[in-house]
Amino acid sequence: MLVSFLVWLESTAFSVWMRESPSVFAFPMILAAHTLGLVLLAGIDIAHKLRVLGVAPHVPEATFDRFLPFMWLGLWVNVASGIALFVGYPTKAITNELFFVKLALIASAVVLIKVIRRPDRRAPRALAVLSIAFWVATIAAGRFLAYTYHYLDVDDLISGRRRP
Amino acid sequence: MSEWQLWLERLLLTAEPVAAFMRTAWGWPTMESVHFVGLTMLFGSIAVWDLRLIGMASSVPIAAFHRLVPFSVLGFALNAASGSTFLMTEPDQYIYNPAFHFKVLFLTLAGVNIMVFYALFFRRVRALEGGARAPAALKVIGAVSLVCWAAVIICGRLITFYRPAGCIPDQAVGFIATCIVR
Repeated sequence: MLVSFLVWLESTAFSVWMRESPSVFAFPMILAAHTLGLVLLAGIDIAHKLRVLGVAPHVPEATFDRFLPFMWLGLWVNVASGIALFVGYPTKAITNELFFVKLALIASAVVLIKVIRRPDRRAPRALAVLSIAFWVATIAAGRFLAYTYHYLDVDDLISGRRRP
Repeated sequence: MSEWQLWLERLLLTAEPVAAFMRTAWGWPTMESVHFVGLTMLFGSIAVWDLRLIGMASSVPIAAFHRLVPFSVLGFALNAASGSTFLMTEPDQYIYNPAFHFKVLFLTLAGVNIMVFYALFFRRVRALEGGARAPAALKVIGAVSLVCWAAVIICGRLITFYRPAGCIPDQAVGFIATCIVR
């Protein structure tokens, strides 16, 4: 059933366009947007976590809430670009355990954005360190996805040809 | 230009131990991870600073945000170091790559913008209280910085799609003919 789903998804027009369009505004710019979303969300969040850890003590912590809209913009850019990248190479993602590890790390870091702002929070410094660690691990997982996949497309999966 | 490119390529290729590490299974992805962590730290801390220059959170003195700048510098240092390892391993893939050329251009613009800030405005900014009127030029500096760093990231991400494929380093004329024309 998974295989027939992947066969169907990879045959959709959008999936073919993601893989085969020669336009720089197809796969390449969507990948670039995914990096911009990352730096908006994780980058500004890490700046906030540094503040929680004691950097820039004269900036009130609540001031960082002003930058939350940019972080949410980054999150939604990456949900959209991430879905597009997934639709382009669904087999590549879904057959790599690391892909699910990355999703879990992102979910954990995003939950911490909320948790660390609760008035009854505990151990904020530990949460901040944990949050930075989640982002570093997310980024590393994202990079390693390009090197650790087993099957590039559903044809590989059906024929059992493992890469790279 | 091309002679200097060849010189640079030969120079970078002398870092053989670095290239040997980069060609191990974990080498390249590990340095890429460092590069992306670095750019996240660089962009995040500099974006907060730039947004303050543009006028957000103006009740907080600009100077209070300056403590974040060392982390931008740390992110930049991580990226200069990890970026160098890519160049030392596959110099031709960068030196003859238009996306990399534009990346260096935007890096230079971002650097000049930072120098203008420190040369002309830093002293005045340091004395400003929260809520005080800041020079309007600071908004321009903040906006230029944001645009330049975003452009650096976009060009960096596009490098892989503009690689001069099939280039064998060090074959002088034939190399230039095949690789630069592409």
